Amino acid sequence: MNDLMQTFALIEMSITCSLVLMLGIQKLSQLKFPLAAKLLLLFVLTNLFFWRLGMFMELPLAAYVRGVVGDLSIVSTLLLWSTLLPSHKGAPLAFKWSIAIIALCFYPFALGLSMIDPYAWGYGSNIFLLAVLLSAVICALINWTKGTWIIGLAIIAWVIHWHESANLWDYLLDPLLVIWAIFALVSLFLQKRKEKFRSGYLFRPG
Amino acid sequence: MSRVIALCFLLLAAVIGFLHIDSRPAWAPFSGNEVIAQEADETNQAQPEGKVTAKTKVPSQPSIASPRTDWLPDTGAPSVHAASLIALKDGAIRAFWFAGSREGAPDAVISTAVFDPKTNAWAAPTVVIDRVGAEKGLSRYIAKLGNPVPARLPDGRLQLFFVTVSIGGWAGSSISTMLSDDDGLTWGRPQRLITSPFINLSTLVKSPAVQMTDGRLGLPAYHEWIGRFGEFLRLDTTQVIDKRRMSSGRSAIQPAVFVNEAQDATAYFRQTRSAGQAKRIPVSLTRNAGQSWQSATDLEIENPNSAVAGLTLKNGAHLLVLNNIEAGRYRLVFMMSNPKSGQWQVVEVLENDEALPDQERKEFSYPYLIRASGSDAHLVYTWDRKKIRHLYFSSAWLERAYSQLPVQSNAGSSIEVKEAQ
Repeated sequence: MNDLMQTFALIEMSITCSLVLMLGIQKLSQLKFPLAAKLLLLFVLTNLFFWRLGMFMELPLAAYVRGVVGDLSIVSTLLLWSTLLPSHKGAPLAFKWSIAIIALCFYPFALGLSMIDPYAWGYGSNIFLLAVLLSAVICALINWTKGTWIIGLAIIAWVIHWHESANLWDYLLDPLLVIWAIFALVSLFLQKRKEKFRSGYLFRPG
Repeated sequence: MSRVIALCFLLLAAVIGFLHIDSRPAWAPFSGNEVIAQEADETNQAQPEGKVTAKTKVPSQPSIASPRTDWLPDTGAPSVHAASLIALKDGAIRAFWFAGSREGAPDAVISTAVFDPKTNAWAAPTVVIDRVGAEKGLSRYIAKLGNPVPARLPDGRLQLFFVTVSIGGWAGSSISTMLSDDDGLTWGRPQRLITSPFINLSTLVKSPAVQMTDGRLGLPAYHEWIGRFGEFLRLDTTQVIDKRRMSSGRSAIQPAVFVNEAQDATAYFRQTRSAGQAKRIPVSLTRNAGQSWQSATDLEIENPNSAVAGLTLKNGAHLLVLNNIEAGRYRLVFMMSNPKSGQWQVVEVLENDEALPDQERKEFSYPYLIRASGSDAHLVYTWDRKKIRHLYFSSAWLERAYSQLPVQSNAGSSIEVKEAQ
């Protein structure tokens, strides 16, 4: 069972790394790849990450990445993977704000500030699970059903012990998701400021 | 329509989520409380009070041998550290430690050797796991290994916890574990314990696990990155199923737990306080089998930011091995306490380089204590990072030391301990 879990984790990490790389190439080249090309590139890159390439490496490339960042949360993974869907829409602003605010409250306490440890709630707190479900319902109410699906899948992954962790937090949140959310918010803020500045410049009374 | 389907799916996830929480095992009391309080009291009362002083070393009697000393077998590595012990089914003792060109070097391996108490000899050392073996087993990059801590599962299997680092120093550690069906001759694939939400960084282990009555283990662990604090991990073999904070902030790591009763335990820590703060041993208490911990008054014994080893004997005596100085690790002492009185006494100075100039003083650190028969004790500690020393304290020697502890009120305990230093 442990062997299977490790293999699946490496496959998951290989797909994630390949996808990030592919999105990076797409962004840099300013090209929009057709779906078939994306899938083909993803297949090739995933294999490069998953299999041990020999030379000086003792492990597959994905294992090196996994050693540094650990297993990503199901929410991060599925958000990233969902960019492959033809009907892909970005996450709503409210979701990014929620992730950033939760992380700013959560990490200081989880990393040792006071005797309160919110991370321990993730092992089996009914109230915490209820709060997570409520956030998934809110996703549905604001018409972002992808969020509802992702949170639902994260809960199921936690129950079946898909990753090494038995803590629900690890299926919902990870530092890279937080960095992405904060980066997206800061980018948006800068973009709006730029737009405001431009409009002010153009329509400034002479 | 898609919203309705999504909500139905969420409902399904909610049902199995709540069922999962409902199926979790209830928190069990501590196990292995074999303290015979009455016996301990009788032993103490038999000793006249006036004859014992705090500084008194146990007088040698011809009939009781002094603690037996030897060295763990040489692996050829120039640097060794963090030894630990466990009693085997056949009465032998197995030691684990890490050895390499230096602490944290990529060539550091976890070594093991078996001590035969009949012949008083150590067998040749073997390698339990090296960095590449850990990498392959854990399917991730590993830079270095350290701190092996063994435990015995109720089904007889041996479990070994150790820390691995993928990036950075020891603060970037995570705990991994392996199981053995043959008392440590062969080991299964290592598995990772997930204990921290931040890339699982910075959880380490140093002290022995505590048995719970449901057969599960409670593992005292600690963080030493942004925070430096103790945590009590509740394990279901290779999985963390709960954890509770034992301290907070940046001042206490490496908890050593003394189980007093089924619900009652005390943890002593290695202090990591900043300059100007008391260099004493931080203490935490639990009254509900580790479900919650409260900080208590420091133990009035000096601690120079170095590990403390603790053990409870069958007769209720508590043992501590530590460096009872504010700076440096050049003195290592063996202390004993009657839990009824709470007084700690130095009963043996194991190492002391105080008389030497600073640059010639050696380091004596990372003590680890176990009991084999219940009333005796084995101790290992790092000797100048070059060797690991092993001491055996017989039950007769420990009984005599215990009988000579002063019987005084709690009010006088702090004075007594200060004198002992």
